[in-house]
Amino acid sequence: MANRSELGRKGNHPDLLAGMIFIVVGALGLWAGRDLRMGTAAMMGPGYLPLIVSGLILLIGLAVTIMGLLRSREPLGVVRLRPLLIILVAVGGFAYAAGSLGFVIAAAWLIGIGSLADPESRLREIAASIVVLTIFGILVFIVGLGVQMQLGPF
Amino acid sequence: MEFLDSLILGFSTAATPTNLLFCLIGALLGTLIGVLPGIGPTATLAILLPITFFLPPLAALIMLAGIFYGAQYGGSTTAILVNLPGEASSVVTALDGYQMAKQGRAGAALAIAALGSFFAGTVSTIGLAIAGPTLAGFALSFGPAEYFSLTIFGLLCATVLASGSVIKAIGMIGIGLLLGWVGTDVNSGSERLTFGAVELFDGIEFVVIAVGLFGISEIIVNLESPESRGLIASKITRLWPTREDFRQAWPAVIRGTALGTFLGILPGGGATLSAFSAYTLEKKVSRQPQQFGRGAIQGVAGPEAANNAGAQSSFIPLLTLGIPSNAVMAMLLGAMTIHGITPGPSVMHNQPDLFWGLIASMWIGNLMLLVINLPLIGLWVKLLTVPYRLLYPAILLFCCVGVYSVSNRAFDVALAVGFGFLGYLFRKAKCEPGPLLLGFVLGPLLETNLRRAMLISQGSPSVFIERPISLALLIASAALFVLLLVPAIRKTREEAFVEEEV
Repeated sequence: MANRSELGRKGNHPDLLAGMIFIVVGALGLWAGRDLRMGTAAMMGPGYLPLIVSGLILLIGLAVTIMGLLRSREPLGVVRLRPLLIILVAVGGFAYAAGSLGFVIAAAWLIGIGSLADPESRLREIAASIVVLTIFGILVFIVGLGVQMQLGPF
Repeated sequence: MEFLDSLILGFSTAATPTNLLFCLIGALLGTLIGVLPGIGPTATLAILLPITFFLPPLAALIMLAGIFYGAQYGGSTTAILVNLPGEASSVVTALDGYQMAKQGRAGAALAIAALGSFFAGTVSTIGLAIAGPTLAGFALSFGPAEYFSLTIFGLLCATVLASGSVIKAIGMIGIGLLLGWVGTDVNSGSERLTFGAVELFDGIEFVVIAVGLFGISEIIVNLESPESRGLIASKITRLWPTREDFRQAWPAVIRGTALGTFLGILPGGGATLSAFSAYTLEKKVSRQPQQFGRGAIQGVAGPEAANNAGAQSSFIPLLTLGIPSNAVMAMLLGAMTIHGITPGPSVMHNQPDLFWGLIASMWIGNLMLLVINLPLIGLWVKLLTVPYRLLYPAILLFCCVGVYSVSNRAFDVALAVGFGFLGYLFRKAKCEPGPLLLGFVLGPLLETNLRRAMLISQGSPSVFIERPISLALLIASAALFVLLLVPAIRKTREEAFVEEEV
């Protein structure tokens, strides 16, 4: 992460991260809304409020960043990549599989890969979770609640 | 007796077998997640929201509401027995409750907490029944200018009363507003902020944001730190409190109820703020403040009554004005919208059975909690031994299938991954995601009313000052803002929330 740079005794890292998020979102909003018509106060176009608010977020981002630089040092807290990446990959895989491969594969992937995020997970437990939760999911979601998703790839 | 008629209508609606069943399910689920640390009511509501599509509207709302107030009960059980508050709102209960348990008075603490909560729930339900029609009648005269000012006031209040930095909270509201505007602009029909993605033309689904920010990111954060589990302090021997306990506890319950009911109504208030304020109040009025932290029963009774009263009365602004006061209420607003109900003053007139049925169900739910919880305490405590590594894959499955089922498309799940990551960044950046959700649900309302008001006034902003209610709300907003800049008040606010983190 960019704000990990050494800033000596100053620099509130959560604030700097927050400022960065706000700046990015604000800039993204301004860019996405660049072609929208502003209109007038009496006849507001689609871009009127989005552009104003995006600008505001950008300003807040700058203010938070400056405050973050001036305030006393505070680290970001624990960041562990393992649970973060594994959970995101597990859910992302579910999204991909749900569209084409069907519920059984999607659920097995989600539970199997997702379980790896906790280092204490044991193989036997993961296998049991996959079987139990997939069957539970088929019965409750697909059969019971009628969620529109294929079971298998075909 | 119009009031009695309404109550009868409410109870007869809430007492149908279906509604009673979902009230029970909600209360039990709420207790369950209240007991389990690491799963909060906000995340649970987000995850279960899609499932309520399949229920009738009233049953869905009854269940979701039950989860919310059930969690307040469950959270206090573990706070007292194992010094592990299941919810933020029961953090203060652990201070004296766990000490009481250590002294062998766990039964008394649990009973006082449950009875106090029930009393508070009853009072604030009556408060809701009385204040509801009055406020709603008042709100019926609101035009676009009033609604705009009210929304601004609500959003600003939410930032002031929320914990953490105010400027960050305002930024989060801004992001929420932007997200709420993604999609097709209702006035001009042109698409905006979609980056050309066809899937976004109808806007972002509420469930996607809620599950991503509150469900997925919460799982990731929980997995980062090892589990902490307390030990059960003692066997519960004697459940019923002594006469002396009652004598000390009841004034605290009454004070807590009054404080909680009041703070719950304020935007941004709710259960957690009420509990903390009640604890501070009890400590101030007590003749033996040194007893607090060493097993003072007032320290359990006051906050427990207050958090339940606050949880209940935070329904008032949502049901009467259509303005949610915190993230949980934003979830309920989302649920109402999913079922085609527009929350606001008209609900009471157009769907009185829904309004009164929900209120009556809350009282029934509180009664159920009292009856089912005290005998079942042993079972709940056993649940604490279920390790998180077995729980979270099931939660993940609910998250994913829930998001998918909203419009049966995988795109939403992929989008939820993005929001999960964003939610994780927000947590690391110490930005509360609650205000974002409020901004998201209020964004379209804010824009529509601003447009209408400005159209009527032909672009002159004086319309907001000329209408008295609107002016009063704007003055209140401005006053709040100025108050925040006063150093003394800012300091007190910071101290109040520092205590919260202990």
